[in-house]
Amino acid sequence: MPAYSNGPLLVPATAAPPANEGTGARPRRPSGLGSAGLVLMLAVLYFVLLLPVAPDLANIENLKLILSNMLPLLAVTLGQTFVLITKGIDLSVTAIIAAASVAGAAVMALPGWTGAAALLVGSLVMVGLGAAVGLINGLAVTKLTMPPFMVTLSTMMALSGAAVFGTRGTGIYGLPAVLAVLSQEELGGVPYAALLVVPLGVFAHVLLFRTLLGRWLFAVGRNPKTARVSGVPVHRTIVLAYVLCGGFTAVGALLYTGRLETGSPVLGQRIFLDVVGAAVMGGVSLFGGKGSVAGVLCGVLFITLIDNSLDILGFSSFAVLMTKGVVILMAAVLDATRARRVAA
Amino acid sequence: MAHHSLPGCVRRPSKRGDTRASARWGLWLVSAWALLVLTGVCGCRKKDDRLTVGVAFETLQTEYWVASFEIMKAELERRNIRMLEAIADGDANRQLEQVKTFVARRVDGIIIAPKDAHTVIPMVKAANRAGIPVVLYNRPPAPSKAKSITVGVDNFSITRDTVLHMCELARQVKPPEGKRKHEALLVMGDLGDFNAIGRRDGFLSAVEACHDRVEVVSRVPSEWNQEKALAGVTNGLQAHPNISFVFTSSDFLLPSVMSALKAAGKWEKVGSDHHVILGAFDGDATAYALLRAGYLDVDGVQDVFYQSQLVVDALLGARAGRAVAPVVLDPGLVVHQGNLGTLGPRMWGAAVSKVVKPSS
Repeated sequence: MPAYSNGPLLVPATAAPPANEGTGARPRRPSGLGSAGLVLMLAVLYFVLLLPVAPDLANIENLKLILSNMLPLLAVTLGQTFVLITKGIDLSVTAIIAAASVAGAAVMALPGWTGAAALLVGSLVMVGLGAAVGLINGLAVTKLTMPPFMVTLSTMMALSGAAVFGTRGTGIYGLPAVLAVLSQEELGGVPYAALLVVPLGVFAHVLLFRTLLGRWLFAVGRNPKTARVSGVPVHRTIVLAYVLCGGFTAVGALLYTGRLETGSPVLGQRIFLDVVGAAVMGGVSLFGGKGSVAGVLCGVLFITLIDNSLDILGFSSFAVLMTKGVVILMAAVLDATRARRVAA
Repeated sequence: MAHHSLPGCVRRPSKRGDTRASARWGLWLVSAWALLVLTGVCGCRKKDDRLTVGVAFETLQTEYWVASFEIMKAELERRNIRMLEAIADGDANRQLEQVKTFVARRVDGIIIAPKDAHTVIPMVKAANRAGIPVVLYNRPPAPSKAKSITVGVDNFSITRDTVLHMCELARQVKPPEGKRKHEALLVMGDLGDFNAIGRRDGFLSAVEACHDRVEVVSRVPSEWNQEKALAGVTNGLQAHPNISFVFTSSDFLLPSVMSALKAAGKWEKVGSDHHVILGAFDGDATAYALLRAGYLDVDGVQDVFYQSQLVVDALLGARAGRAVAPVVLDPGLVVHQGNLGTLGPRMWGAAVSKVVKPSS
């Protein structure tokens, strides 16, 4: 599998150029059969094997549905990827989705807005809220040296509670029609939502592999002590990872909200497994320092395909959950095995 | 992390080798899984030319939903209709994806028990675009241009009739000593839910009709949560120790009411001096058992068997292009100690296998 950890920041400290000079090799992208290629191949194989018994899988409406289902999940998973690369985890993404959904919807539903203006301001509120929560998470992890698990679990509980408390558990309706169009409609077979998520993916890719911050993220995830010695601002990098995670998650929340035409305080409560599962299947290591946008894209594709195919095959939701759990566990085992081999 | 290949050192596995191993693993696992699925699916599937209906339930969390789902399944099977099932586990987005999958599969009809009145609208719109008839079960949609048929229960009337029976009992039984009227406690549902509102209004309407004998002193907002119901009823009984008239908006909150009444020393059978006149709504197994055991006076019952027939009739009618009313209501029934022998077996709770033993 490709390793993105051999950038200049990770050579022995004595030989390392100052990180902030930005010189030296960039993190290497996959060559040959990388994570993305492997997962894509598995997804295609899975698709082909199931076609004889589930021909509806390949009908054009269903393929569009898979694409449409992937987009919000992709935005959230990309955000989580930044944090996972730094060897962290953000459990609060589900709560960010819920809180951003109700906050944005509350703004958009205010009387006196025109559609586009309401959407713009509401979206900014959502992204701002997501980034703010990410900032709190990042600062708590770095300044208070608290474990990411504990910090983000606490944030998740507080934020979920606030979302339900603020709305008394009911949804917010009357959102601008343009939001529903953005989240549900398509142009020439391409969902409008792709116009939002594809640039986000490109941005994430460029950030990870074409900028100094990207190299810092990988360096911190691979070995924070070495990174610090090499001049990487470790704390700032981790905080930025959480802020990016919050912002990307809020974009996912915007799309989820538009799909249901409702700001819901319980939105996205059950997608955490999908988010982490897609990332891990896409080659993002739970041990930090490894990941790619293409891999995440394929991981999200695979997990969405599993969901869709099992629905089509008429499996009960419990069977779907069990299946996804097993597949994600296999991916995690694979990740752990790889990590052990590299360590050996 | 730098690795230097020195003579005699253990070789670090190459990235290419690592990738190949992963690929082998992955290919093996996916192939095994897909073959497993194929074996299962091929083994149990025959070519099926029957009508296909997708049934999407928001949850199977309570006995009512489980019973409804199973009875719906039996009704479709009885009419030789193939059912595709989807349970969203309380996740509206998941339910939207499931309904859209039904649409992509071009099913002949869709039955949805939605999470709420608003999030169901995009689902109905998606089915409308594909020309697939949709019947909503138990919860009507918010006003919109989306077209669907709702099969529900007349919450207001059933609750009103149930509570009117409780009022009759209140006229026959003396209020607690020193009181001119029976003091009443109402356990409400989630007032964001159409059903909860109908039941609350039915209760208040009936109590208004017997205000000379019953006075509402406590309203407990349970939000369809057993813990909240328990805390609320306990608090209500502490604040008003003379409460002698209790109605809960759902049978699934009866265990909470029972616990609170026991703690207050008021859990007594019908006919005892300290019996609290107790009414409930739904018709589940707990209510059936409590009626039989003599603790529950009356239960407003949803006729789930009849509702399932109404749902399938409405779906087939819409599919055939016949005019179907946008809202079809089950009038339900009121089961009490006087008619338990005759109407009791019609309670869906009597049909489910769960055995509930009310403790005394």
